[in-house]
Amino acid sequence: MPDAAMSDVVVDGNVLRVEALSVAYPSRDGWLHAVDGVSLSIAPGTVLGLVGESGSGKSTVVLALLGLLGSSARLRAERLEFDGHDLLREAAALRGRRIGVVFQDSAATLNPALTVGTQVVEPMRVHLGTKRALAWQRGIELLAEMGIPRPAEIMRSYPHQLSGGMKQRVGIAAALASEPDLLLLDEPTTALDVTIEAQILSLLDRLRTMRLEGGRRLAMLLVSHNLGIVDRLCDSVSVLYAGRLVESGTTANVLQRPLHPYSKGLLAALPRVDRQHAGRLAPIPGRLPDLWAPDPGCNFRPRCAFASAGCEQPQRVTGDHHKVRCHRADTIVDIPWPIERATAAAQPRSAVPLVEAADLSIRFDSGGWLQRLLGESAGILAVDRVSLTIHSGEVLGLVGESGCGKSTLGRLLLRLLPALDGTLSFAAEPVRAKPDARFRRQAQVVFQNSDTSLNPRQTVGEILGRAIRWFAIANVEAEVMVEVGRLLDLVRLPRSYARRYPHQLSGGEKQRVGIARALAPRPRFVVCDEAVSALDVSVQAAVLNLLRDLRDQLGVAYLFISHDIGVIAHIADRIAVMYRGTIVEEGLADDVLRPPYHPYTELLLSSVPLIGRQRDTDPPPAARPPAAGGCKFADRCRFRLGPLCDSVPPPLQAAGPGHRIRCHIPLPQLAGQPHWLDRGETT
Amino acid sequence: MRLAAFLLRRLLGLVGVLLGMSVLIFGIIHILPGNVAYAILGEFATPAAVAQLEAKLGLNDPLPMQYWRWLSALLQGDFGTSIVMSRPAASLIAEALGRSAVLAALAFGLVAMGGIGLGLYGATHRGRLADKLLTLLQFVLIAVPEFFWAILAVLIFAAWLNLLPATGYAPLSDGVLAWGSHLLLPVLVLASGLVAHVARLTRSSTIEVLDSRYVLTARARGLGERRVLWRHALPNALLPAITVLAIDAGLLIGGIVVVETVFAYPGLGRLLVYAIERHDLPLLQVGMMVVTAIYAVANFIAELLYAVLNPRIRVAGAAA
Repeated sequence: MPDAAMSDVVVDGNVLRVEALSVAYPSRDGWLHAVDGVSLSIAPGTVLGLVGESGSGKSTVVLALLGLLGSSARLRAERLEFDGHDLLREAAALRGRRIGVVFQDSAATLNPALTVGTQVVEPMRVHLGTKRALAWQRGIELLAEMGIPRPAEIMRSYPHQLSGGMKQRVGIAAALASEPDLLLLDEPTTALDVTIEAQILSLLDRLRTMRLEGGRRLAMLLVSHNLGIVDRLCDSVSVLYAGRLVESGTTANVLQRPLHPYSKGLLAALPRVDRQHAGRLAPIPGRLPDLWAPDPGCNFRPRCAFASAGCEQPQRVTGDHHKVRCHRADTIVDIPWPIERATAAAQPRSAVPLVEAADLSIRFDSGGWLQRLLGESAGILAVDRVSLTIHSGEVLGLVGESGCGKSTLGRLLLRLLPALDGTLSFAAEPVRAKPDARFRRQAQVVFQNSDTSLNPRQTVGEILGRAIRWFAIANVEAEVMVEVGRLLDLVRLPRSYARRYPHQLSGGEKQRVGIARALAPRPRFVVCDEAVSALDVSVQAAVLNLLRDLRDQLGVAYLFISHDIGVIAHIADRIAVMYRGTIVEEGLADDVLRPPYHPYTELLLSSVPLIGRQRDTDPPPAARPPAAGGCKFADRCRFRLGPLCDSVPPPLQAAGPGHRIRCHIPLPQLAGQPHWLDRGETT
Repeated sequence: MRLAAFLLRRLLGLVGVLLGMSVLIFGIIHILPGNVAYAILGEFATPAAVAQLEAKLGLNDPLPMQYWRWLSALLQGDFGTSIVMSRPAASLIAEALGRSAVLAALAFGLVAMGGIGLGLYGATHRGRLADKLLTLLQFVLIAVPEFFWAILAVLIFAAWLNLLPATGYAPLSDGVLAWGSHLLLPVLVLASGLVAHVARLTRSSTIEVLDSRYVLTARARGLGERRVLWRHALPNALLPAITVLAIDAGLLIGGIVVVETVFAYPGLGRLLVYAIERHDLPLLQVGMMVVTAIYAVANFIAELLYAVLNPRIRVAGAAA
């Protein structure tokens, strides 16, 4: 049974009070219990974080508060109250008016056919009855408050003309247009680059202290899977697992001293830039429980490292300010989540480079044939004279923001795209523009989205068998089956999975199949293109550990492409930082992660929302197009020297053994920068 | 500037398509057995007479030269002369085209309004009985060809109920009632299949848009369902419908040939069939060219309309 005791940190004057909220959806297999007895409360001017992985039911809570679950869902609550109004009956009248909401992925939540202004002004016109001209004026002010440059012009633009960060600012402006008391934020920064995320977070932070008309203060519910963001913004945190609250309390308590095993596991699974790299992550084994027949006892029990007798009993919530739903919380209070031990010793790395690229470039033409005919099309140098080497058994991490050309570079190294310029050699032999089967066998790729890269109409065995036959690793059926079994063993999947179809696997398992397929021809080099980006933290840790073990066992070299510098810092031996088609810094992981570093590396590192770090510096936005010929980062650089940076290409400075920085700023000055971990408090 | 470039590009494309089609039409007609000389002289002509006429008409010249002669005359407004009716093809086509245009315009209006209306109704009443019945009806209309409905309509409304004239045409000068009663059945039959086609497509695109995240966001902003549908969903849902309407304009022309023949309606379709039967090659050539031009222009208009409704085409480039 749900406990009402899980609610209110602040007893009085809560703007939102939810007690024992349960939501179930009808499905072919019976009722799917998405949310099971959740209680929350938020006081005006405070921010509550609702943390959980996919399938935890966190977005369902948001839709339930808005009354937008759809008519087929079954909604029950002992109390669902907003400022004295019963949301079960009055949600339709309150949503958009007094409860604002910002959803994930602003590209999909803004209407492509309507101007930004129309969408910002509409809530004012509909809910507040503001006159058109006045509402438009107020919309311009609102966009300016959200930190949007040239707001009057942006009001007349369409969403597709704005960058991702600008779109999310517009989304927040539209949610605030009707001056709500409560703002629901459902993964507001997911899919944004880390520097843009930092800007949106400081904007949201500013809103927290903002006072509404009549001295009201805005309350916020932040739904996120990202613990760093939650730590940055929230006063208190509730952790949701498979529809049930497992822990709640102040942010400091929950994230620094987690009591519930699941919270401990989540924090241990998180790859963090500020933690010693090369250690192993602690994944949470298993997968989300069956939501059709909820376990009356603890539903985390099958995955829990601390499970014991008594876990099968319904769990009571204990604690006053720091509540936890676990009968063993007191006994395990000081025990961390256990970390898997490494399986094999690292192989010695060879001194000869396996992959060697020199001056690789590619240009993407824009415009149609007419522009090309008129010579108007300039095209974009997506990869601009990049040189790099990767040794056998080495992990080169390639990090950068979306659109910097890192995936394109990965494809160039596999010769999946024709290079405009430059040379590529593999195992000391040049690779031709149309490579032979031998190169294809030795150089493989794992993509981000295993949902679309696995054929849904083939079983895992067929998918792997096809790769095995294609590269003539084995041809006789029995041999192929042996090989399939070996691959499944390698990626730690049961051999019985050979008979399953992709849709019967979880996200992490699908990604393991993707890795197994890449390993089928026994490659020496694998490009992992955002290979863990779509996975939940607890699953991502397991896949990262697996990739690391495979490297140690098989001596495979990886180019590991990711936008997440935490993941890169965890897995990479060396790191290359890419910005607008150029590698701006390259070196051993430990060297890149501390000064001297390129100003862009510093920006990336200091933008990461980290647990236990308060930051409020606002990184400067990309304001103008980069000057031709000069440093591509000059327009965003905090340390820009002057016209030199705009007009002269920066030199490659050697900062140490194998550590190179492409910057005009003298090395001693770069070395004199404070460590990014210490920067926040001082500014 | 960008819109001008867009227009220019489309216009160039339009001219290219028409030129290409003129070559194709000219070529096809010259592959057909028999030629103009045979058609003029009839089947009992002596070979000598045919040869003489061929020489006179320049039919022994190389094909490119004949094509060039035809095309340059066409561009100068000389559409040639119908052999069978001994009248300028231009005036024959103009008369027929006018009557067909009325038929097509009415049918097209019905397709656009009815198709979009029924599609919206289906999308907003998804899964209910009315939606299911409409779906069934639409599939029947799509599956069964027009001439069946044409014959059925004539049997029921003309032969059995005696409400409407079975065939023929009455000019507007005979009175609106007579004019309309001759048009009603052809228009309904012509539109039947296409209404269903457009309705199906509008329904599915509207459903997709209603399930989109921006519609969810519009609802979360507390907007009423009517406002969500008309202002947020419709402009996006109509985009695919417009593309299909342009394709349907082509199908409509094909349908006109059938419907005009069944209802003995003296329009362009019937004129074309007549020209084929009688081997009236100059008339056929020009008639086909006109049909092609209509189709190409319809597509051009659809693209413009699409650009107007879709800001991603109309306004490109970054503002911030």
